[in-house]
Parts: sequence; structure tokens; C-alpha cells
Amino acid sequence: MNCRSEVLEVTVEARQVEEAMLALLHTILLHRSTGKFHYKKEGTYSIGTVGTLDIDCDFIDFTFVRVSSEELDRVIRKAVSEFKDALSNSGSDGMGQISLEFYQKKKSRWPFSDECIPWEVWSIKVNVVNLANEQERQICREKVGEKLGEKVINVVEVINRHEYLPKMPTQSEVDNVFDTSLKDVQPYLYKITFQITDSLGTSVSTTMRRLIKDTLAL
Amino acid sequence: MAHFDTEYQRLEASYSDSPPGEENLLMHVPEGAKSQWHHIENLDLFFQRISFFKWFRKNGFTCMLLGEIFELVQLLFVVGFTVFLANCVDYDILFANKFVNHTDSSKVTLPDAFLPVDVCSARIRDNAFVIFVLIISGVFWLHRLVKFIYNVCCYWEIRSFYINALKMTMSELPYATWQEVQARIVEIQKEHQICIHKKELTELDIYHRILRFKNYMVAMVNKSLLPVRFRPPVLGECVFFTRGLKYNFELIFFWGPGSLFENEWSLKPEYKRGGNRLELADRLASRILWIGIANLLLCPVILVWQILYAFFSYTEVIKREPGSLGARCWSLYGRCYLRHFNELDHELMSRLSKGYKAASKYMNCFLSPLLTVVAKNVAFFAGSLLAVLIALTIYDEDVLAVEHVLSSITLLGVCITVCRSFIPDKNMVFCPEQLLRVILAHIHYMPDHWQGNAHRYETRDQFSQLFQYKAVFILEELISPVVTPIILIFSLRRKSLEIIDFFRNFTVEVVGVGDTCSFAQMDIRQHGHPAWMSEGKTEASIYQQAEDGKTELSLMHFAITNPQWQPPQETTHFIISLWSSPRSLIANILGPSTLTSVHFGRDSSLTNHAAAGINDGASALRSLSPVSSSLHLRGSLSAAHRAAGHTSAMSKGMAGSGTDARTVSSGSSAWEGQLTSLVLSEYASTEMSIHALYMHELHKQQSRGELSRHTWHRQDSDESSDSVPDEVRSEPNPHSRHFPRSHTFPTTVASPSEGASSQSSTQRRFSGSGTSGGKAVRSARVPMGGWAEDGQAAPRHHDPLPEESSEDEMPPHIHKVNAVRCVVGMAKLLCARVLKINLHFCPPILTLGYITKPAV
Repeated sequence: MNCRSEVLEVTVEARQVEEAMLALLHTILLHRSTGKFHYKKEGTYSIGTVGTLDIDCDFIDFTFVRVSSEELDRVIRKAVSEFKDALSNSGSDGMGQISLEFYQKKKSRWPFSDECIPWEVWSIKVNVVNLANEQERQICREKVGEKLGEKVINVVEVINRHEYLPKMPTQSEVDNVFDTSLKDVQPYLYKITFQITDSLGTSVSTTMRRLIKDTLAL
Repeated sequence: MAHFDTEYQRLEASYSDSPPGEENLLMHVPEGAKSQWHHIENLDLFFQRISFFKWFRKNGFTCMLLGEIFELVQLLFVVGFTVFLANCVDYDILFANKFVNHTDSSKVTLPDAFLPVDVCSARIRDNAFVIFVLIISGVFWLHRLVKFIYNVCCYWEIRSFYINALKMTMSELPYATWQEVQARIVEIQKEHQICIHKKELTELDIYHRILRFKNYMVAMVNKSLLPVRFRPPVLGECVFFTRGLKYNFELIFFWGPGSLFENEWSLKPEYKRGGNRLELADRLASRILWIGIANLLLCPVILVWQILYAFFSYTEVIKREPGSLGARCWSLYGRCYLRHFNELDHELMSRLSKGYKAASKYMNCFLSPLLTVVAKNVAFFAGSLLAVLIALTIYDEDVLAVEHVLSSITLLGVCITVCRSFIPDKNMVFCPEQLLRVILAHIHYMPDHWQGNAHRYETRDQFSQLFQYKAVFILEELISPVVTPIILIFSLRRKSLEIIDFFRNFTVEVVGVGDTCSFAQMDIRQHGHPAWMSEGKTEASIYQQAEDGKTELSLMHFAITNPQWQPPQETTHFIISLWSSPRSLIANILGPSTLTSVHFGRDSSLTNHAAAGINDGASALRSLSPVSSSLHLRGSLSAAHRAAGHTSAMSKGMAGSGTDARTVSSGSSAWEGQLTSLVLSEYASTEMSIHALYMHELHKQQSRGELSRHTWHRQDSDESSDSVPDEVRSEPNPHSRHFPRSHTFPTTVASPSEGASSQSSTQRRFSGSGTSGGKAVRSARVPMGGWAEDGQAAPRHHDPLPEESSEDEMPPHIHKVNAVRCVVGMAKLLCARVLKINLHFCPPILTLGYITKPAV
């Protein structure tokens, strides 16, 4: 609740799913990553550089910019391909949602595990369509390219707003805010989850959690 | 080589290309997280805990800890002792039916009566029921233990929030009001950003978060959506609303599996769209069915749990004061019915507690004379027997040794106590009407038809639904596990479509808060009721209106309790129009009598009679407030308290008491000493009482002559159309508008012939100043499946109402100019009303209330 949520919706063909998702996720992460922090003794830090890379899509008339970090790319690709597989295996009407959640950790005392508190969630809703002939595919190719362009501008607009971002951490707290596992780039802590079709109702686990919490509370 | 003369030249030493070194990199200073309180995940829960901590743990952390630990031990003891008594005691020895063979003495000692350990444990093991009870109570105890540990951890955190972030020590917490705590939370939001959507929090945001679901419940009770009224064949109309039922409602609507809410702060998107409401209703109905069945299956377990719970919670109380079962308490339904939107638990409880004395007095007025005669005689006979027995015992205590003498003495004593409760106090005066007014001053809501009918048994019976016997309350809780599934399956399930419609129509998304009940916005324009002073300001259809003036009274209440709150523009007008009236009244009435009489003496329409009676009126008002002695301070205080905003009206009105030297000096100690906000909040509650009385009075005047509709007899809306608000007009009005008579929402559209029947125009008038514009807006907002308005075709007139007070129709600036006139008028009105309650035997003054109008 106490987090912003942005929803992007795209309608693509099955083979475009992967590239479209990569384009959007990478665009968001490009703006939510910094260079590595190098802390100095008197509590200041300097920020390393971040390279960017233009990526051309094969199935869409579209080029996007991503952080030139192979590691990050690998992680994202893995998540997206899992999503794609799940989507193609689901066999239903081809609706799915992938969400990129930025969070910060909060240290808790002993009985509780660390809390992960999201502060921004990007949900990308994907609608997969089947096209009959090559001509339609061509049109779709262009149209999806245009749409993605709009989405990218949309993303940049949202990111440009002056809104809450976690404060820049001191050295000891840097792991609570940034993902420091990568060598060349340092994105905010993020989590990618996906969900195929709108499953009805809250999942059993959340309900159980809520039941337990409710019996405990007050 | 040709020398090219160009303008381009090499820049000399404009910058030096020093090798990249550490010292030239841009250096940043990390801000770090100053505290752990920024960006809290679940603000709803967090605020709830803060308010809970404030109100229930105010005696400090250690007290809470000790209290809880002792409670756990007590529980263990009660269960263990009960089992021991049932299984390990040889009662034959105790009752001396069996003799023990002692060698040394003939005395029976307590250990003789205990069974040996092995016999005892064997008895326990053989008894399946005892095992069952032991297991259930064991689970119960473990649950309590885990809950206790969890709570301690949570509240430790909240405590450190109070200390570190809010900068309040635990010792000063009990003396701070909620408003102070709230102001500090608003303050720290600017610094820590605990809510990330907004830069600043408002009071209303905090209330919305704490009371999100409670507001929904209040609104549903207000719109009679929840099936809590029943007509069982023998008992007549009754209300059944228990904690178990409430828990189930919340489970279904708010957080259970597949509930309407996705998470704690947002409704599922499909419920916000009207498209497939029928399908959603079907789904909800089947879910209710399943939960009902689950309740049915778990019934035995819950029943045993309930009995244990009741036993552990109430036996001690009953032992300590047996009369407490005959005492009354506010029922759960009453708490929902009487609650304002955005009213915290402690605020509700404090005002209900203030009304408790008057309410029980009112209920005691209605003792059946027949019962009294019987009780008197029974008490006489029992008393004489008791007297003889006691006298004999005093003469020779061997009488006690005779079998059953001690028990008969005890029984007779109980009998007399019971009988005495049926004998009315000799010194009590039967004046239900006045009592009901005093009650109203605290509870703020009551159905219209109670006024003037306070002496009737029907009114009393209905009031007893709000204010029930403690014993009845416990009994209802006990039978609740059995009744709840039946209600769910047979009653709630039929309402699934209405529920779906309700949640769709009355949910708004507020930035930084999430989905809240739109009633809780307290927007007069959207949910005002024309009969409750929002005439001309409201655009709500009947479906959208909150009943019983809930929106208006809630708004007043919230504005009074949270003076810092900045209401939206149109709401401000409403509040100012109210504040500028009775507030100054208080000053006038409670000020020195000489001054008041001068005030009114100037006015020719009031007789000397009235001026003389003002003191009585003032005393009646004073009785409303527990801090009556300092009520003189009230006027001047509130002026200082809320100086901003309505100064012009205020200063004129306050002239009576504010500048009076005596008043100020009488309260000087308070000024100098501890003029804490506690006192202020006490005043605020008094002020709210007066506003409530005033608004009810005005409402009554407005709807006089009509058989106004009331919610009390509003029946289940899907039953038939005879539960229609019957608004019979007393006088013909050419501009009568059509209103839907049918309650059969959501599917049936009222037929034109039905709608065309005579309806009140005065009560249900919309202020369509621009007919087309107003209509367009409204028709856009007419909820699908709501109360269909067949009056769409009919033009909406704005017909001036003869008895309408002028203030409502005037723009605010005229308002200010007319403030003094209004003040005098209102003062008259309230005085007349007060006189009416107080001087029942004074018919000429009694009539004053009927002739006076707000505007002179």
C-alpha cells in the first residue's frame, strides 16, 4: 500500500513477448540503477560510471537502451524467459503480468525476519494475440514498436517526477537499499515476479498469513 | 604552406587536463536513514497500533506486561482448578456423608477429601469430555501466549516510535490527547516521510487508514444493508449482531479468502466495474454459502470456545458484583448505529459512557407496575423470613449448623436483591422525554419518531436494542455460533447483489490512502441528506444519502474534534454556517444571566417568562457536561481555540461571555495552570452535544407536519415495496417532485405510477439551481443498480420553503453580515428547546419552541 504502483499494458504477438518485456524492464532498470558506490573514510562516497548499450529488437521495429551490464542482462533474461515459457505453457487466453518491484530492506529484531518493503511496483500486463497472416504481422511489428516507444516515454515521465526514493545510504546500510551483488552496476533492490492470468481471489498463502496475523494482532 | 586565417583558435589553458585522480571525482555525502521510521510498509496497521497503544496501554509498558502475564496465569489456574474440582475431590467426605477413620482425632481435614493422584488421573483420562475441554483450552491458552509475545514485540516498537520519533515520553503519554499525537505524526511525516505518496498527511488520512473497514461497516449498518434485524415468530422484532457475526462479515468482505478486498487497502478491480455484477454477486453468494457451511461444521468447537471464554471472562465479574448481569451495556449494533464516520474507538466509547447514566435511568423508567407490586410483596415475605433467620442466628449460632439454613439465608438474600431491582426508586421522576434528550446529547443519533414518543413502550423496546442487558449480551454471544451460519446462509446470501453494488458505488480511491468508503469522505454534496441542513447543498440521490443525518453529524464531529483539519471548500461553508450559530448560543446561554436576559430582552418576541427561565435552561445544559463547573470558560476558550475562520460571527456572539470579567476570572486558574488539551477535548465533546441537539431540533422543525421517514422501521429492502419511506405531505405543494418509492433496488426500477404517488417535496428536494446541469452531474452519478430515479424526466425545481431558515440560502458573505441576527434567532430556538425540556409544567413557554424560527 505504501508504495507507488504503475501499470503498463501491451498487446503483442507470442514471439514478441520476450523482446517487449526486456525492452520495458531494461528501460525501467536503466533509470533505477547507479554506478557502484565507493565509500571514502570520512563518510563520503563517489559513484562509478555506468555504460549504456543500444539493443535492436528482431521481431519489433524498436531499439532500446539498457545498462551495459551482462550480469544484469542475464538475470533479467532468465526471468523473462521463464515468464515466456509459463505463458506459452499455460494454454489459456494468453494473459499474463510481470511485475518489477523495487524494495528496501528493514532490519528487524530477532523473532522476525528482515522486512522487505516495496516502494515502487511496475506491473506490465501482457496480452498475447495470434495473427493470421504475414501482412498482419508486419503491421503488428510496427505498431508494437510505436507502442513501446510511448511506454518508454511514459516510464521516463514517471521517473522524472519528484517522488519518494530511498535516501542514499551510508556504507553499512547500502545493502538495504541497493543490490550490490553485481560488479559493474548497482540497481535499487528489485524483485521480478510474474503471474499468468488473473488468478481469482487472494492466494491461499496470503490468506493464511492474514489469518495468523489477525489472530495475533491486538 | 598556406596560412589559413580562421577565427578558430586553440584555447589556451582554459582548462587543465589533469589525470583522473581520486581527488577530482565528484564526492557525495550519504544522507543515510536518519531513523527507521521512514516509509512504513503497512501504515493502516501502524496507525492502528499507535492509537491502540495510546488508549489501552497508557499505564505504561510494564503494567501492560504484568497484566498480560497475570492473565495468562489466571487462565491456567481457572482451567486447572476446574478440572481438579470436578475430578479429584471426594465430595462425600466433604459433605460428611462418609466418615474417615482417623486414629488421632475426629476432625476432617481438607487433604482427606482429595483423591489419590493415580485415581484422579485415571478419572480424567476416562472422561472424553474433560479431555476435549482440556485440549480446546490448551489451544486457547497457547494462542493467547503467542499473541502476547507477538504483541509485546510490536508494542515495543511502537513505544520506541513514541519516544524516538514523536518525542513523547511514556510518562506524558497519558496526559496527551489523541489530537496531540496526531499532530506530531503529521509533523514527522514532513521529516521522515512515513507515507511515500504525499508530502504531507492530513488528519483525515490518518483516520481513514485506521478506520477503513469500520467506516464501511458503519455505512452498511446506516444503509440497512447488513441483515441484523429479524422477526422471529415469538420474540417480535429483534436485533442480532454479535462479535462472531461481525467477524464473519469482515471475513467475507474484507480479508477472507476471495474477499472483495485485494489487500488491506484496495478493492479488487473487477468489483469496481459494473460490467459483470451479476456474476460477481453469484460468486459472492456461493462464497457466503461456503463460509456458512464452514461455520456450521466448526460450530461445536466455537461453542465450547465461547462458553469457556464467557466463563473465564465473566465469572469473576459476576462473583464480584452480581448486579452487573442486570446492568446494561451498549450493544454491538448500537455501537455501529451510533458511531460517526471517522470516529475512533475511544471517542465513541467516551461519549457512549457519558450517556450511560442517562440511558440506564431512562430504561429504569419503564418498570411494569404489575411486576413492581409482585416484587414488593415477594421482597416483603422473603425479607421477613430472612430477618427471623438472622435474628435467630444472632441469638444462637448453632442455628447455622442446622441443615440448609445457611443456603436458605443466601437464597433469600439473592431473591430480595432481584426483587429490589424491580421496585422503582421512590424519588425518581418520570420524565422520559427529557432523559431521552440528555441521551441524545451524547449518542447523537436517534430515529425521528422517538422524539415526542419517549414515554411509549415501543420507543423503549427499540432503545433497548441499542442498550441491552449485559446478560442478554452474553447470552447472544453464547448462541452466536449456532445462529451465525443460519444468518449467513439464509439472510446474507440473498443480499449479495446489493453488497456488490454497495461496494462499487461507495468506494473511492484517495491518493495516499487507497480505497475508502465514500461516506467517510463526509462530503455533503455527495451524501448529504436534504432534511438535515444540507438542503440545497446536496446532490445525492436517495440511495446515496446517508440516513439519520449521519454525514452532517459526522462532519461536525470530525471538524470539532480535529480543529486543525482543513475541510474542502463547500464543506467549510456548511461548518461555518453551523458554527456561527449555536456556538455563540452557548456563550449566551451559559453567560451571566443578566447579560443574557438583556440580549433577549431586546428581542420583543420573547416574553419575560422566557428570560426568567433561561437559568434553568443553562443548568440543563450544564448537566450535559461532566466539567460543568468550568463551562463558563467554554465560550471564551473555544473562541481562542478556533480563532481562525469565523471570527466575525464569533466576536459578536462572544461579546456576552467572552469579555465578561467574572467569567474570565472564574476560569483564571485554569488559564494559568494546566489548561491542557484534555480539558479542551472535553469542551469539544460538550460542543458536539449541543450541535447534535441543535441539528436534531432543526431537523424536526424541517420535517414537522410530515410523517418523516425514518430508518428504524426500514425493512429489508429486498422484501417488498411497503418498506418505502412514507412521506405524506401535510400541505399541498405545487412543485411536488417524484421520488422513487420502491426500495426494491437494485434490479427493479420503480414504476412511474408508484413514483407519482404523493411524496414530500420539502424533504426530498434537490437544489437543482440549473436543472440541466445538475441533472447531468447526478445522472452520471446515479449508481447502476442503485435506487433508480424515475424522476429524471421531471424538472427539478428549487422551491423556496416557507419555514426554511434564511441562512441556508444565503451566500456566505451575507451570512456574516447577518450573523448577529442569526445568533439571536438561534439562541431563541435553543433556549426555547431547553426550556421545553426543563419546564414541563409551563405550557406557555412550551409552545415557544414551536413558534420560534431560526431567522428573526
